[in-house]
Amino acid sequence: MSGPHKPGDLIGDRYEIRADVGEGGMQFVYAAYDRLIGRMVALKTPKNKSATKRFKRSAIVAAKVNHPNIAKTLDYVRAGEDRYLIEELIEGQDLQDALLRRSGCLDPFSAAKVFHYLVRGVAAAHHAGVVHRDLKPTNVMVVGGYSLTEIKVTDFGIAKMADEELAEAAEGGTSTMTTSQTAVGALPYMAPEAIETPRAVGPSADIWSIGAMMFHLLTGAPPFGTGLAAVRKILEAAPPPMPSFLTSNPQFAPLAKEISNIVLLCLQKDPSLRPTADDIIERCGRLCYSLDPRAEGTVHRIDYGAYGFISCDGPDVFFHTSSVYGPRAAQIGASVIFASYLGGGAYRAHPVVVVDPSPTAA
Amino acid sequence: MRTLPARYVPSGPTARGGMGSIVFCQDSILERRVAVKFLQDATHGRRMDDELAALLKMRSKHVVQIYDICRFPDDCIGIIQEFVDGPDLFESFALPANTNAYYKQLWQVAAGISDIHAVDVIHRDIKPNNMKIDPEGVIKIFDFGLARDAGPTAATVGFVGTPGFAAPELYATAATFTSAVDVYAFGVTALFLATGALPSELTAFPPHPAPAGYFGAIGLGLGAEVIQLLDACLALAPAARPPMSAVRDALARHLLFDKHQALVVFKGRPSYLNSANRNIALDLPTVGRVEISYDGLMFRVTAATGEVFINNGTVSAGQSLPGCCVVALGSQARRNNERAFITFDLSHPEIVL
Repeated sequence: MSGPHKPGDLIGDRYEIRADVGEGGMQFVYAAYDRLIGRMVALKTPKNKSATKRFKRSAIVAAKVNHPNIAKTLDYVRAGEDRYLIEELIEGQDLQDALLRRSGCLDPFSAAKVFHYLVRGVAAAHHAGVVHRDLKPTNVMVVGGYSLTEIKVTDFGIAKMADEELAEAAEGGTSTMTTSQTAVGALPYMAPEAIETPRAVGPSADIWSIGAMMFHLLTGAPPFGTGLAAVRKILEAAPPPMPSFLTSNPQFAPLAKEISNIVLLCLQKDPSLRPTADDIIERCGRLCYSLDPRAEGTVHRIDYGAYGFISCDGPDVFFHTSSVYGPRAAQIGASVIFASYLGGGAYRAHPVVVVDPSPTAA
Repeated sequence: MRTLPARYVPSGPTARGGMGSIVFCQDSILERRVAVKFLQDATHGRRMDDELAALLKMRSKHVVQIYDICRFPDDCIGIIQEFVDGPDLFESFALPANTNAYYKQLWQVAAGISDIHAVDVIHRDIKPNNMKIDPEGVIKIFDFGLARDAGPTAATVGFVGTPGFAAPELYATAATFTSAVDVYAFGVTALFLATGALPSELTAFPPHPAPAGYFGAIGLGLGAEVIQLLDACLALAPAARPPMSAVRDALARHLLFDKHQALVVFKGRPSYLNSANRNIALDLPTVGRVEISYDGLMFRVTAATGEVFINNGTVSAGQSLPGCCVVALGSQARRNNERAFITFDLSHPEIVL
């Protein structure tokens, strides 16, 4: 165990702590400056003794996987009793902070992109014989916010350590499940077999977790809820119902339907029935989705309940209410995320997702 | 040989790279294989640091990753790189199975070089031997000729081992490297990957590429735009060669040939315009009529009569549709119930490798 550290602390004569960038259940995470090479890196160090035991092993596991959609392992430092993993610094936020916290869900085009990149990274890990075991929105890093410039799965190694804690929590029954911090965050995305037989999970448990995450991204909520009640529902694994907004709008229905079909394949109770990561890549490779950057603005006018205008940096953007995806309608004053296209007079927004529906006080 | 930090244990053969020796090692701490490239940093120290900093910051799917740098007292540096477990494109050469397989190879190489150029670095030694296919099937470029800015003399061309990739201007005295050098070498690489050989005028000292070009005759059924761009890569004048990113983007369009689609929603009913259904006519009798066609690369208006507007703008035959738009039949002077609105959403599968 080492840390917490303060800015200015020097690790291994080389890595200078610059900022605390948050902590996970198992580790402290810092942004550090590599004095030898002159670049910023992410420095992770275990929080407690039981985590320290498995830290080296987890670093080796993470270093095995080399893929653009997986955070790159750069170095491992042992300084006395302390252990540090040096990783590529991803200048973004996790999926939870970057996207879900505000908008609840993503439009189907963005969801398709996340699905595609996520499963690419996980497939590379599976090819190398590495199972993540703890895939959840906080373990997926996003650069560029809603524009999704980069998507990277992180904490592969940590997952190996978390695995032990998760197994202990699952074996301790539901009371332990809901007190273990690590288990609480992972629970909504955990496969039934990860709860029932936690020490014998394979790659197909990752597939379930990807399915559960994609369900959350597309619909705005995890498929089986959160907390204690989720355990029973996950074990039953009845196909979760899709909200009607997925298919009620003909502009979104075809893609949303294609994605949700793949998601339901991932959420099958029998692990052997789930597709492999390669199967999903093949299906994602056929999805058609636009990749235009997203901008944020505020709805300031709506006419006849049919169309309106969004104010943002630059000229106003026109939108039609049928371009709004998700459970929330775009009222005047709502903050929205949108892609825009050249129009005749004004630019036209499509798709539009509401991030903050409450009209701001004038 | 310089002494590497003890964590790197040499394993396997030592290879001669273009610019220095490469030693394959086992990183005993992270238990993975790495390739350590030694470079002599005698005269261009400042510049090499700038380039290394740029490469360390760069994140490209198609360029090998650099993990670490070691510095030695004799101004030599060791670059600890990702070990790519796969054959290089020279060793693994086979005639392309089809046009798409060829486009896919070239697109990856063009994407890697574009990424390198985007951080203002010139690779300087682009050739099939310096590209490997990793176990995931992704092509990765390696072996940068860092900080080398003198043109090759006959002697230095010798070390490349594969004459023919150095651009003609490098044979002049006091030649300087520009990114057009990589574009030329890409063109030669593309020709090699199509045919497995290079014509003698390209392997001559200096090379004199045929002005008529090569790619129209290689028989892979390449698109006209691709032929024109690849031939331009081999232009004698550096300024006549296209930017690498333009080549990459054209290859991407052709990789997705016939795979684009437009979702057309009219009166709440969705339908698709794609390679299976190339034409659509939207007609509001006595008001306006427009025909839109998909040619495998673009969606274009092929005919328009009466009151037709795309995103409120007037329409002319031949114009292409923007990514997302609304077609209106009937002008704004009419009441809404005398007009028809049709949404078009254009999309395509993503090339993710």
